[in-house]
Order: sequence, then C-alpha cells, then structure tokens
Amino acid sequence: MKKRFGLLLAIIVALFMTVVPLSTQHAQAADNSLEKIQKKGVLVMGTSPDYPPYEFQATVNGKSTVVGMDVQIGKKVAKDLGVKLKIKSMSFDSLLVALQTGKIDMIISGMNPTPARRKNVAFTHVYYQGGYDIVINKADKAKYKNKDSFKGGTLGAQTGTTQYNAVKKQTKNTASKGMTSQSDLILALQSHKLDGVAMEKPSAEAYTSNNKNLAAIPSDFDMSSDATSSAIAFRKGSTSLVNKVNKTVDQIKKENLVKKQYLPAAGKYLKTNTVNTSMGHYWQAFATGVEYTLIITVCSVFFGFIIGILLALARTAKGNIFKTALRWVSTAYVEFIRGTPMMVQVMFVYFGLGLFVNLPALTSGIIAISLNSGAYVAEYIRGGINSVNIGQTEAARSLGMSNGATMRYVVLPQALKNIWPSLGNEFITLIKDSSIVSIIGVTELIYQSNIVRSDTYRGVAPIVVIMVLYFILTFTASRILNYFERKMQHD
Amino acid sequence: MTKPVIEVESLAKSFGDNKVLKDITEKVEPGQVIVVIGPSGGGKSTFIRCLNLLETPTAGKVAFEGQDLTTLDQKSVNKLREKMGMVFQGFNLFPNMTVLENIKLAPMKVKSVDDAAATKRAHELLKRVGLDDHADSFPSSLSGGQAQRVAIARALAMDPKVMLFDEPTSALDPEMVGEVLNIMQELAKDGMTMVVVTHEMGFAKEVADRIWFMADGYIQENNTPDQFFAHPETDRAKDFLSKILM
Repeated sequence: MKKRFGLLLAIIVALFMTVVPLSTQHAQAADNSLEKIQKKGVLVMGTSPDYPPYEFQATVNGKSTVVGMDVQIGKKVAKDLGVKLKIKSMSFDSLLVALQTGKIDMIISGMNPTPARRKNVAFTHVYYQGGYDIVINKADKAKYKNKDSFKGGTLGAQTGTTQYNAVKKQTKNTASKGMTSQSDLILALQSHKLDGVAMEKPSAEAYTSNNKNLAAIPSDFDMSSDATSSAIAFRKGSTSLVNKVNKTVDQIKKENLVKKQYLPAAGKYLKTNTVNTSMGHYWQAFATGVEYTLIITVCSVFFGFIIGILLALARTAKGNIFKTALRWVSTAYVEFIRGTPMMVQVMFVYFGLGLFVNLPALTSGIIAISLNSGAYVAEYIRGGINSVNIGQTEAARSLGMSNGATMRYVVLPQALKNIWPSLGNEFITLIKDSSIVSIIGVTELIYQSNIVRSDTYRGVAPIVVIMVLYFILTFTASRILNYFERKMQHD
Repeated sequence: MTKPVIEVESLAKSFGDNKVLKDITEKVEPGQVIVVIGPSGGGKSTFIRCLNLLETPTAGKVAFEGQDLTTLDQKSVNKLREKMGMVFQGFNLFPNMTVLENIKLAPMKVKSVDDAAATKRAHELLKRVGLDDHADSFPSSLSGGQAQRVAIARALAMDPKVMLFDEPTSALDPEMVGEVLNIMQELAKDGMTMVVVTHEMGFAKEVADRIWFMADGYIQENNTPDQFFAHPETDRAKDFLSKILM
C-alpha cells in the first residue's frame, strides 16, 4: 500500500489547521456533505496515477487519460451518487492535504486506512484487500524464495509506503533502499543495484507480465489486514457521504467486481500501453510538458521581474516611518523567501491559499514561482541599482527630474544592463526549477516524463528525452538573452 | 535694485563630525558670474551642491528667487531645480542614450515638451556647443571636452536661470580645457547668471564679476577679480595666491 507521510506536508497541514481552524470545524458542525456533492453534481476524485494497475495514464483514443481499477471504482461511486466524476491528478504526497483543503472531494489512490490517517480523514469500508510480492530478475529465480532469502543483499521499496517499513523491520541482515517511484526501483533492479523490489501484488503482476526479464515471488511479510487494504477517503465528518458510498463499496465487494471486471479492464490498458513504447509515440505528452514548462517559466519571469523591481525599490526606500516600514517588510520578505525551499512555497500557495480562494494548480504554481523569483530578482536589481554611479542620479535630479523618473529613465535601464547576465541566469534557472510544480499536478515536463515512464515501463528513455528538451529550451533562451545583451552594448 | 537670484544665509553643512561649511551668507544677483576659488577641501564643491540641494544643508537658508529651498517639499524642489542647470566634473552623461537623447530626456519627461520640439531645441543647443554632428553618437565615443560640452547643452535644454559649474574642467586633458571654457565664456557674455567652482585662474580673472575665495568652511573674501588678484585682503588668500602659478 502507498502510505507516505511527507513530513513537510504534515507540518504544513498542522500549520493550516492551527491558523485556519475553520475548515475542520465546518465539516463537523453540520454534515451536509452528501447533499453538497449532489447539489454540485460533480465529484472530484484525487489520485496519483503512477501506480498500475490501481491508477495510471494510458493513451485512449489518442488522448492521455487516467485509467485503472481505482478509476473504475470512482466511476461506480459517482454513478451511484448520481453525479459526474472528475479526476484530478497529483502526487501521492499531496492527496491528503488536497482533500483537507477542499481541492478534491475524495481520494481513491490505493490508499490504506491506517490509524494515523483515520485521525485526519474518514474512510469507507475496504474495497480491495491486497498483499505483497517481491519482484526480482528472472535469472535469480532459483536464488530467492521469499523476504528471508535476501541476506547480504539489498531490497528496495517505495519510500514512505507500508512495504518500505516492512522491508526495513521484517528482514534480517538485508539492506533496504527506498526510492520515490516504482519505475526507478525497477530500473535499479534491472541494473542490479537492487536484488528485489517489494510491491503490491497487482503492481508486481503488472510489471512481470509486461517485462519478460522480471519475476515475482511471495514476500511473506507479516501484515495486519489494515496495511494491505485500500479504502476511499473523504473529509472528516462527512458521515452521510461515507455511509452512502459504503453501500457502493459493499456491492463492489459482494459481486467481486475488482477481480472480475476492474483489474482485467486495467490490464487491457496496460497492454495497449506497451504495444508501442517508443518515445516518438509519446510526443504529445512531451509537447504538453514543454508547453506548460514554457507557460510557467514565461509567466513567472514576467511577474517575478515586476515583483523584483517593486521589492528592490522598496528596499531602497528611505525617509519617513512608512518608508522605513516598507523597507523592513521587503527585506524580511526577501530573506524569508530565500531561506525556505521553493517546493514548500509551491505547496503553501496551492494548499494554503486554497483555503481561501480555490486556485487551479497552474495558477498556484505560477504565483509561487513568481513570488520566489521576485525575491531573487529584487536582490539582483538592488545590486544593479547600486552599481550605477551616483553621478547619474545627481545629473538627472539636477535637471529637475523626480526620484521616480530618475529611476525609470536613467538608473534602471543602466542597472538592467549591468545585471542582464544574472537575470538571464535566473531565467534559465526558472526553466529548470519550474519542474517543482509537478508535485501539485501541473503537467509540465517532469510530470509528463514520469507519466511516460510509468506508462511504458521504460526508466531511462523518457529521462533522456526531457534532458534533451530542457537543454534545447535553456540553450535557446541563452541565445536570445545574448542577442539582447549585445544590443544593449553602447560602450 | 533687482531681487537676488540666489541668497544664502548662515549656511552650514556637516558630514558627521566634519564641519565642511561653517557659516556662509552671500547673494548672487541676476546676470552675475561668480567664480568660487580656494584650496582643495575648503568646501567649494559642497557649497555649490547645497545651492540646488544635492546636499541637504545642516543649518541655514538657501533661497532661489526668494523661496527658501530647505523648507520646500520634494516636488517644489524638483520644480526649482529645473531653473538651476548643473554641470559636473565627471560630465555624468547618460551612457545608455545618444547625445541627442541625453539632451531631450529632461525637457520631454519633466516639462512634457513634445518630441519634435525637443529635438529641434536639442539640435540648436548642439550647434551652439559645436557638436551637432555628434547628435547620434553615444557618450562613450566622445572626448572629455566634447562630453562636457554636451553636458552643458543638456543643462541649457531646461532653459535655466542659473548655471552651476562644479569644477567643469578638472577631469579634462589640458588641450580640451579651452573648448569648454570658451562655451562658458560665451554663456556669460549672453547674460547667464553663473556660479563656477574652478581652478582656472585665467577664466576667473577674465570672466568673473565677483571672486568668492573659500577656505576652511568660510567665504574668506568676496571681491572683484582685479582687486582680489592684485590686492588680496586676507592672509589666507595671500597664502593661496602665493602658492599657485599665475
């Protein structure tokens, strides 16, 4: 089961819950959850589509779509509620926060109802009971029997998951290695950095049936049923909604729909996926990635630059108390932004501001990166302003120009020229750093490549493709910047 | 008698504990050319920079046409600065603009003169300083003397009533000093009120209406050039004159 506890997220959630206790209280005060969904007519399902056959991306009728057994369950739940299903993809780490902040209405993502999670969200009955296998290279099949056969070797598992804890706690003299994605683990296995990878049975089956060089053996981990089961998560206190959905879940179990219908259907998509795993076949996915990476970068550079100028001017403000306060605030802002990771800022904007305004992931990403870039640009501009000879300001002021006009027409154009290489650097860094918004599900290059990787079961090829794509983007950008730099040379 | 253009009363300026200007009270009448001379470090530059408030006086009054600049808000100071052109030792041309743009900038942005009128005026001024053929050059391609002449044209473009010159020839190669002084002399002939800080004694003798001899934070002597150079009254001035080659 996937059971990650991003420590950062836990802290952020805790922070939101203390700063904004409203959201939880609301849910508990009046349980109109069922009514609300039915009135809205749409049920938003959050999922992390990197986990075949539970949920993954497949090309259906030429379009990249989220499919898998969990999607089938989501459709069934929505149908029984009489509403439409909308799927929102994001990283598994982000799902719980997204649910609590109202970005999504439910989670179906192979999530197991652990006691810790139960404290924060409400789970339905279990819809699927799984177990663990260990995937190994077929050539080693004679060597390994179960979890106890790996003495002196290394077992891998997805970090933060239940199976990762099992690998660490329930083996002896065996090294454990955690990685964030299944495809990376399989790649490590194939390149013999790992001797085996613990994963869920359905996933193991998907990998072994799609790759002839792999085989699965039973893990024999001693697990409680809680840890190997999947349930649907709703916001805490949505009792009426959970009760209603439980009826659907009970029906799914009674009729054994998962094994009879959903898994075979998911398997079919896996097949269509692996028919053509050439990178060219996925050009559309990469094109979308490039498109979003460019949108994020260009918007963030634009707004970041404006924010940067404002901050830089605020930092040079001197005079009355108001101006001193302005300077103090902007200095604090710059220090704070530079002192915290951009990833946290992205999550803060998406989930934190999400409590007040429902911002789409793309907008949130652009806002967060602009705010971040603005702080760095402000420092460059401040340096640039300081680098312009004071005589320039004096000459302009002696002509009767105001402080603002002097900045705008005399100082800033020269400052800009002086800091152009640094700004260019920032621009190119942004192209690369925009990848961070993949964690909130924006379909930029990194996100798309991860999807292609889990689609095709090919670990390296998509990485090579995006490496080349990133390089083309940054190289083109630096050529353009150089062109303008030459244009600005007067002396 | 006409009203003085500039009136300075009990002006003092300190940088920290360093009292650069101690107590200065003087007047500049319309059309007068004042040449401020004196030993280095005597406060000449600080003094002239106080006249258009590039330096804020620590105490005292600086009045332009009867208005005390030290009591005005920033907007009114900007307004009065338009009427006081200033030429700096280091030219301070804007390197990112052509010569023509340097001259047009302030009239267009401060006085909202339209582009055509500003261009026409700029060409006139460039002709006056003999540099119209350099209108489209960038400052980096000019010699020091040419740059300073452009700086004078730039200041004149705002149609100032007073021109302040802060050691305009000190940064120039000797063979270029003449071309700048000639322009200044012509300006004086045309009746421009001028305050000039300089070490060019020849210019002082020939062009000045009054010499203000400044040392140790005071104006030690205020006299006509003939009187000052022939019969200096203070020991400080005698000492100074004895040390410079005439």
